[in-house]
Amino acid sequence: MTAPVLEMREISKAFGNTRALDAFSISLEPGTIHALVGENGAGKSTLIKVMMGIHQPDAGSIVVDGREVTFRTTQEAQAAALAAIYQEPMVFPDLDVAENIFINHHARPAFVRWRALYDEASAVIKRLGVSVDPRRPAGSLTLAEQQTVEIARAISLDARVLIMDEPSASLSDHEVRRLFGIARALRAAGVAVLYISHRLEEVFEIADTVTVMRDGKHVSTRPIADITEERVVAEMVGRDMQGRFKRMPSAQTGDVLLRVEGLSRAGAFHDVSFTVRKGEILCFSGLVGAGRTDVALALFGIAPPDHGRIEIAGQPVTISSPAVAQRHGIAYVSEDRRKLGIAMAETVTANITLPMLDSYCGPLGLVDKRAESADADTFRERLDIRAADLNMPVGTLSGGNQQKVMLAKWLNTKPRLLLVDEPTRGIDIGAKAEVHRIIRDLAAQGVAIVIISSDLPEVLSLADRVIVMREGRFVGEFQGESATDESVMHLAVGAAGRGAA
Amino acid sequence: MRNTFMSRISPTSMRILALLFVLILTILFFSTQIENYLNARLFNRISTSVAIILLIAVGQSVVVLTRNIDLSVGSVVGFVAYFVGGVVGAFPEIPAILVPVLAIALGACFGAFNGFLVSRFNLPSIIVTLATLAIFRSILVEFTDGSSITTASLPDWLTEFARLNAFVVGNFRVRWMVVISIVVALVVHVFLTRFRAGRQFYAVGSNPEAARVAGINVGRTVMQAFVISGALAGLAGFMFLARFGNITIVAGLGLELKSVGAVVVGGVNIFGGSGSVIGVLIGASLIDLLETSLVRWALVSEFWRDAVLGMLILLAVVTDTFMSRRLLARPTAKAAAAKTAADNTAAPIAAPGARQAEGS
Amino acid sequence: MKGSTFIDRLATWEGFLFLVLVLLILLNALSTPFFLTVSNQINLFQLSIEKVIVALIMTLVIINGEIDLSVASIMGLAATTFGWVFQAGISAEWAIVIALTIGIICGAFNAFWIAWAGIPSLVVTLAMLIAYRGFARVLVEDRGITDFPEWFDSLGQAPILGPFPLSMLIFFTLLVVLFVVLQRSAFGRKLYFIGSNRDVAEYSGVNVRRIKATIFIASGLISALAGILFAARVGSVRGDIGVGFELDIITIVLLGGVSIFGGTGTITGTVLAILIVLNLRNGMALANITGHLQTGALGILLILSVMVPTIRDAGQRLWRTVRGETG
Repeated sequence: MTAPVLEMREISKAFGNTRALDAFSISLEPGTIHALVGENGAGKSTLIKVMMGIHQPDAGSIVVDGREVTFRTTQEAQAAALAAIYQEPMVFPDLDVAENIFINHHARPAFVRWRALYDEASAVIKRLGVSVDPRRPAGSLTLAEQQTVEIARAISLDARVLIMDEPSASLSDHEVRRLFGIARALRAAGVAVLYISHRLEEVFEIADTVTVMRDGKHVSTRPIADITEERVVAEMVGRDMQGRFKRMPSAQTGDVLLRVEGLSRAGAFHDVSFTVRKGEILCFSGLVGAGRTDVALALFGIAPPDHGRIEIAGQPVTISSPAVAQRHGIAYVSEDRRKLGIAMAETVTANITLPMLDSYCGPLGLVDKRAESADADTFRERLDIRAADLNMPVGTLSGGNQQKVMLAKWLNTKPRLLLVDEPTRGIDIGAKAEVHRIIRDLAAQGVAIVIISSDLPEVLSLADRVIVMREGRFVGEFQGESATDESVMHLAVGAAGRGAA
Repeated sequence: MRNTFMSRISPTSMRILALLFVLILTILFFSTQIENYLNARLFNRISTSVAIILLIAVGQSVVVLTRNIDLSVGSVVGFVAYFVGGVVGAFPEIPAILVPVLAIALGACFGAFNGFLVSRFNLPSIIVTLATLAIFRSILVEFTDGSSITTASLPDWLTEFARLNAFVVGNFRVRWMVVISIVVALVVHVFLTRFRAGRQFYAVGSNPEAARVAGINVGRTVMQAFVISGALAGLAGFMFLARFGNITIVAGLGLELKSVGAVVVGGVNIFGGSGSVIGVLIGASLIDLLETSLVRWALVSEFWRDAVLGMLILLAVVTDTFMSRRLLARPTAKAAAAKTAADNTAAPIAAPGARQAEGS
Repeated sequence: MKGSTFIDRLATWEGFLFLVLVLLILLNALSTPFFLTVSNQINLFQLSIEKVIVALIMTLVIINGEIDLSVASIMGLAATTFGWVFQAGISAEWAIVIALTIGIICGAFNAFWIAWAGIPSLVVTLAMLIAYRGFARVLVEDRGITDFPEWFDSLGQAPILGPFPLSMLIFFTLLVVLFVVLQRSAFGRKLYFIGSNRDVAEYSGVNVRRIKATIFIASGLISALAGILFAARVGSVRGDIGVGFELDIITIVLLGGVSIFGGTGTITGTVLAILIVLNLRNGMALANITGHLQTGALGILLILSVMVPTIRDAGQRLWRTVRGETG
């Protein structure tokens, strides 16, 4: 066994009360492809950021070639021959491919000889076993080609460690083939590749070693030959039993409220059909990027579908904007609280009443502040929002309470259909239980609920029915009890065989 | 793949060809409207006027390439012209070569001040330079105490420099000022196109986040851009002094807008990342030509020039926006940078349609 | 333990502005006995009344997360339109109506590119700053138009209610209206949300485009009104009416605590900033400091006001470090 080129030893990193990395260790050897797997939120992105000098670890050490180092900036990580490519390619759309590769290549002369630049760019790209015209502007390339350009930039800098963060997330099948070709070429050239992916089939095809991480901790590291897909799945989802919530099926479900047939939007999801009944909780499970959020956005009028039909209570409808969706009694609680959910600088009350603001207004368009505070107060009690003063900016509340404010905002619209995207992301366990209680209460009152969640125990404890999506398609459906951690995860990651599809 | 001429030239070259075409059309149009239009005197007048605005516009374009703007250049030109005029007036025996050097250094200091505020504190350049536009001008007013520089107070070599011909072709005399200005423009052009440090200005403007990830020192690059802009405005201030001789406290007023106009009309993307100095040269010539020609055109008043300039800038920006938006329709890095709401909520997924288009 | 004490209130930006204002007034009052007379204060307002009127609507534009650099040029264009139409033989009343319409058209033209085509307001209004001024110059060239009816000229100065002339009454009315709009109306609430987080507003069913368009049209209309008031005050119309006013106006608004990135700020802050700037100018004038230098001082104020968040953050970081070391 060769000496590792990069070792992360007992790295810990916390953000506020969340421990993103908890004494995590991994070591990368030259000429190997090392896969890192874990659920959403297991701490993979934080690890990369620590490796690349974007975050500094709270504890632990980084060792390159046996020497301990610290990276204060990306430049320092690059100087130690580390390179990373991200899910969203970081290229310069206005510059051509060759320049994108060599833009900060200090070993090259300061004077640009274009012909030589193009020749060398071609040579670097050729080493990757693909063909991209070095004269094309990067903005005109596909995502896959842009990724190739980024890899080429890393190679040209003689990177000895290449981190690939979900590189296949937005690639088509044959593009993934090409990416694998590149990864193998790098391995042959002695580069240590850290391959981060959700997709187990890919991991088993390409990797030499697999490390599983969960909740910021190291679970296992094994040669690929010594582990099975089932085992990896079990290790990824395996949790302490105390973190689980008991499943309590909704008492009664009523008539079909929402019927979706053959819904498609190019590039996001394809031929999606399902129904939701009043009082039913339907969960969309799957990996990030499987197209679940896109379906919700289509139903909420943010990104309308290209094809298909939507019926609400038996009436066909066209939903062209969030305002129209609201009129049909649809509410969407976004997964991204900060960017899309609530305006942090505005008050709790103002956030809660925003979607219904016009209904608080008299003929002059002036807001009836008393009615507004009364309603906000009702929600404070009903959802147990812990805020001393509802006229404080939402940003001053804790994450769990912010989440409840966001729920209150949409419950205030008295929805018939509630779409909830990652209802408990980033909130503590107590707040989580409360959010679950609120959702169950709503269902009991006859609201049709669609939950999008990557948190499997949450899905299993809430859902009357689970639909699994992968790569923009429905790949399976479970009735409440028949869903288990493993059966859902198998379908979501596309592991071979099993699964009650 | 079709191997036609049109498919082989880059969008930038296309833009330059189109500009050249418009420039020639404009000349032809006015030559049918104005008697004795294409004469040596007009050439002389326009070329010296372009020489000054070109320097400022070249500096401005470097700043704009990095996704910033420098509105203070007009005040820098005024200040430098006045200050340098005062210095040579007071010390006429000062070596001639030191005078432009002083002008450039002074301008660079102003630029460094702007660049420091913008890059160090991450302030919006439009606000910073809007403020320094006023500050630099008021320093000038304080400095002058309301008096003016007059031609009489300047040494002869300086006023003669403005009329010095580099070479003469037939009736057309090409002044040294024009030659220097064009040489400077070409030097900047070569720097921007042939040097890695120059290419990094494009990189920073094209995708600042990617520039950071690629290890480019974004702050330093922005700082350099402002220093270059200030230095060139300083040189322009020197030429302004030589050409006009009489300098008042309003010298250079409004040059900032004219330079932004030349840059945008010349095809530099106002949102950074693309454009060329050659385009700016044509843009500056076009604007000056329009201005000078409108003055002589009997049918409309010369006062149309600002209205025309403003609409030209809007047209150029609208064209740029829609051109780059066509690019955005594809799954590109710029799309990732300028995320739509939908992209924020899910990992971006490449549009299959776009992939097929690339495959052909 | 909580509850806003006097100290708490002073710790806000408005509180700080208020202190500065009191200080300025004290300084000015000590240096000249005439300073605190009603007529001097009204005169102070009168000299900049057009700017401060536009600053009120600019507050809404910037809270909304946009900027309008073309206001001063719209002032100029409206004033010259008024003069030109009047000279062409149309009654002054109708000329005012036409000039206001021009303001609405200019605002709508800006709004079209900003709200509909999605081009940044900074660039659009920069181009239109040049173009509208250009049209103003086309209309009157280098002439000055005078000889308006007596009632029009007296609009500018003659007190019509107590000591207040029309322009000040317009200012106060607009102040009250915009205060109510921002503090009490649904429109104002949506304005803040758009500036604070455009996506959240959009996801909540707010019609962002319509609100942005309304604001720019209002900005055009009020700028045109300010232009006419200017013409009435000086009794003549020239092509360069209001050149460079946009700088003063934006400085006032930012100084008043409105963030250049939108979402925060109040009309109260703007009014305090107006009073500070007026008193500062007055004080500088008394100290024989000329107009250009006053503008320079405003420039420094402008930079300082955009640096306020930076300074505050630095202060907090320092505070945290100190606390971190001791605790």
